[in-house]
Amino acid sequence: MSNERIIPYQPTVIAGPKQALLVTPETAELMIKNSKRPLFILGPLVKEEPLLSFATNIAEKWNLPVVTTADAYKPFNDKGLNPKSYGVVEIVNLLKDPEWKGLDGKGSYDLVIFLGCIYYIGSQGLSTLKHYAPHLKTLTICKFFHSNADASFPNMKDEEWFKFLGKMGKGG
Amino acid sequence: MIVVAPEQNSKAKKFKDDFWKSKDIKISIGDIVEKEGEIPESDTPMGPTPKPHVTDLRSWDMKLLSRYEPFYAPFCDMCCLCTFGKCDLLNKKGACGIDSEAQQARIVLLACNIGTAAHAGHARHLLHHLIGELGEDYPLDLGLNIDIEAPITRTLIGKKPQNLRDLSETLSYVEQQLSHLLSACHTGQEGNNLDFESKALHSGVMDDLAREVGDIAQIVAMNMPKGDGDAPLVEMGVGTIDSKKPVVLCIGHNVLPGSNIMDYLDETGQEEDLEVCGICCAAIDISRYNDRAKVVGPLSRQLKFIRSGVADVIIVDEQCIRTDVLEEAQKKNTAVIATTDKMCLGLPDMTDEDPDLIVSKLLNKDIEGALILDPEKVGEVSVKVAKILAPEREKLKLLPELDEVQAMAVECTECGWCNRVCPNNKPMMEAVVAAGKGDFSGFEKLYLNDVCYSCGRCEQECERELPLMSMLAKVGERSAKTEKFNIRAGRGPVQDVEVRRVGAPLVLGDIPGVIAIVGCSNYPDGGKEVAEMAKEFLERNYIVVATGCGAMSIGEYHDEDGKTLYEKYSGDFDSRGLLNIGSCVSNAHISGACIKIANIFARKPLEGNFEEIADYILNRVGACGVAWGAYSQKAAAIATGVNRWGIPAVVGPHASKYRRLLLGRTDKKETWKIKDMRTGKIMDGEPAPEHLIYAAENMAEATVMTSKLCIRPTDTGKGRQIKLNHYIDLYKKYYGRLPPDIHLFVRNEKDIPITYKKDVKEVLEEVGWEPREIPQEPSLMGMGDD
Repeated sequence: MSNERIIPYQPTVIAGPKQALLVTPETAELMIKNSKRPLFILGPLVKEEPLLSFATNIAEKWNLPVVTTADAYKPFNDKGLNPKSYGVVEIVNLLKDPEWKGLDGKGSYDLVIFLGCIYYIGSQGLSTLKHYAPHLKTLTICKFFHSNADASFPNMKDEEWFKFLGKMGKGG
Repeated sequence: MIVVAPEQNSKAKKFKDDFWKSKDIKISIGDIVEKEGEIPESDTPMGPTPKPHVTDLRSWDMKLLSRYEPFYAPFCDMCCLCTFGKCDLLNKKGACGIDSEAQQARIVLLACNIGTAAHAGHARHLLHHLIGELGEDYPLDLGLNIDIEAPITRTLIGKKPQNLRDLSETLSYVEQQLSHLLSACHTGQEGNNLDFESKALHSGVMDDLAREVGDIAQIVAMNMPKGDGDAPLVEMGVGTIDSKKPVVLCIGHNVLPGSNIMDYLDETGQEEDLEVCGICCAAIDISRYNDRAKVVGPLSRQLKFIRSGVADVIIVDEQCIRTDVLEEAQKKNTAVIATTDKMCLGLPDMTDEDPDLIVSKLLNKDIEGALILDPEKVGEVSVKVAKILAPEREKLKLLPELDEVQAMAVECTECGWCNRVCPNNKPMMEAVVAAGKGDFSGFEKLYLNDVCYSCGRCEQECERELPLMSMLAKVGERSAKTEKFNIRAGRGPVQDVEVRRVGAPLVLGDIPGVIAIVGCSNYPDGGKEVAEMAKEFLERNYIVVATGCGAMSIGEYHDEDGKTLYEKYSGDFDSRGLLNIGSCVSNAHISGACIKIANIFARKPLEGNFEEIADYILNRVGACGVAWGAYSQKAAAIATGVNRWGIPAVVGPHASKYRRLLLGRTDKKETWKIKDMRTGKIMDGEPAPEHLIYAAENMAEATVMTSKLCIRPTDTGKGRQIKLNHYIDLYKKYYGRLPPDIHLFVRNEKDIPITYKKDVKEVLEEVGWEPREIPQEPSLMGMGDD
């Protein structure tokens, strides 16, 4: 299938005409660079190596505040990222509120980068933000295309994905 | 006489006996047969909302919804319910004017209505049959230990039901309300998301009523266990079924076909000659009726077991049955009998035919299967067909050999679409590729604990049309043969005496909570996680109650001593008790137990007094539901019903697809204000419980959240210490640190668990914590517009 890289990884999550913009690591980096208030959300699917290090390197390179979901807190805390822990639905619920004070009390965010949340609940959270959080953009850098995000990596295999993540991190 | 619900009241009235007396208001509660010596029903004070209409409890709903605001996650951007559409609702309104939030809430209401209709239809079918057999006057006798035999009915209808007629009357009220609720889903009716949500909550408690009616009817009329903590252990697992005997498999939820099969076997002295087994709640209810019936397992076993060919006859009744069951059964020459109006499968109606003629037509393949709406006839026909068909089908009970599986697996093109369409993205392709090389470990991992719950979507996608489910079933066959578990037969309601015993320790917090593990088997990573959660809470002295597929999954686990949790723990409603309450309809007894605590322990009157009871449960009863694999509309209705009673629920990640959660915000202090009914003072409350319905991403998160959602404002210092001790323990276990929100739940230093005193105090100092006043009677009543 020629376009299978940009059909949502679970094809039935297609929700409507709006689809995510397909991005390369370079475009993703540009989005982070242009963001004034980015937030990095790390889920339980990246709590083990080598993904743990890829994610940590990206957070460190861009000095991103980090939220972990489910039980991803401990490994990222051990990596020194000083994350805050929320359930994925809790953090999305806060993010959709433009009046939320944020992790640091300085207000909401303008770009939320997702990596490692379980695909289908992640997709639901992205749908919430697509519908009810016009004040922010979403970017997913999982190895799955997420049509409910504003911008997403394509579907790909581990080898290519690791290269993408490597490019976005320290030394990339 | 069917009493029409009172006219809509825009606002719940105050509950004052004098008011009702002085106004000489007469509320018709149907025909009551009074017995000599009993206190007449008319002496029971009637609360403000007997038989509430759709809007009569709206003010309570709005209190809940302002604290636990709906969180919407649209599954679809569009609405396709009318010919104006499709309308894209992404940041736009539809052609009828509806916006995205209202549309999500509308779909939630629709789902709840479907679920409620399923339970009400089920209950009506049962009642119709039982009244036909036993008469309307058949009494509701739940035994000596249960006086408050229908707490939901008493609270909502305002009447103690005495016989099957009274249950029928309750169901008529449910049916009437349901038609109003369904009507609100029509285009151009409700337009506000919160009002849709209020209606969904109403639908949820109508579902509660329907389930209570259905289960009480079958318990009393079919002599199922009546709150028996020592109900027998029933054999469970594929390995317990002797496939050398003729096998009849019942799938669904309605006990009548299965119970009639058991009766026919007993009456004809063939009880040892056949195996009768079930999948899903039919299995639970048939084994409540006769403990010789065996339980195959939860819903997740369905396709694998059908494909195994073990069943000679499949009986389908209603709800949660694969709609391609006939096609699947035909591949194995298994006879199919449909038995209810809910699922006719295009089969000829043979209800009025002679049983031997039906047997002959089925065996000669004159008909593809039979629709038989008379359960007694189902009993006779199914047994006769199974006995003749079984010897012919011996070879069909064999799956392809492993070398055939390997040969098929070699055909895999590694396109990867089986993984992509898998609801859990499980590695089916990797399992197939490995099997092609003679390594079946990937398939084994998918088979064990129903990590693959055999929906069969992968097969639909496979470009080589590989029979992946049959290959999985074959590889798993070896494990299946040794799968011998058990489950305690569904015991039905919690006894009044048990409530008296645990009421105080539960409300004060000494027993840390009641965990209700309920619902379907759409698990993110297999059924073992459910048993692990049950074990975790049992070891921590919680009461664990279970129903449906959840109850089965708990039994499919052996501990280090080779025992199931049902063998290890008592079936009593007490600390470290593990209770299989029964099937989906038996969930009514879980809300019922919480209601009984308010009534028996706190002496709150039930009749017509919904809001006061729900307010009591929300603020005092530390109960939390866990529906780890909820998938159905019935599960949506059940969860929404318990939410309206003030009981929170944690659901699995798939349940985010229900589109709506009810989440609290700890950063919005004003939403936690409560009124202390003792002093009349409005004061700061605490986020307890923090959420009403919450989707967790994995088991770790669910376990921690469940322990937190058992905290209640009325916990004593000792009780709060116990609850916080478990919350901290579990948080540390899965997150490696103290919970960052611990300060929110420490009211004064007496609340700090001794084990963690130093660490907690450090956190309290860091955040500038100060002790706060503890309300004596926290309540949401008297708040808002009251």
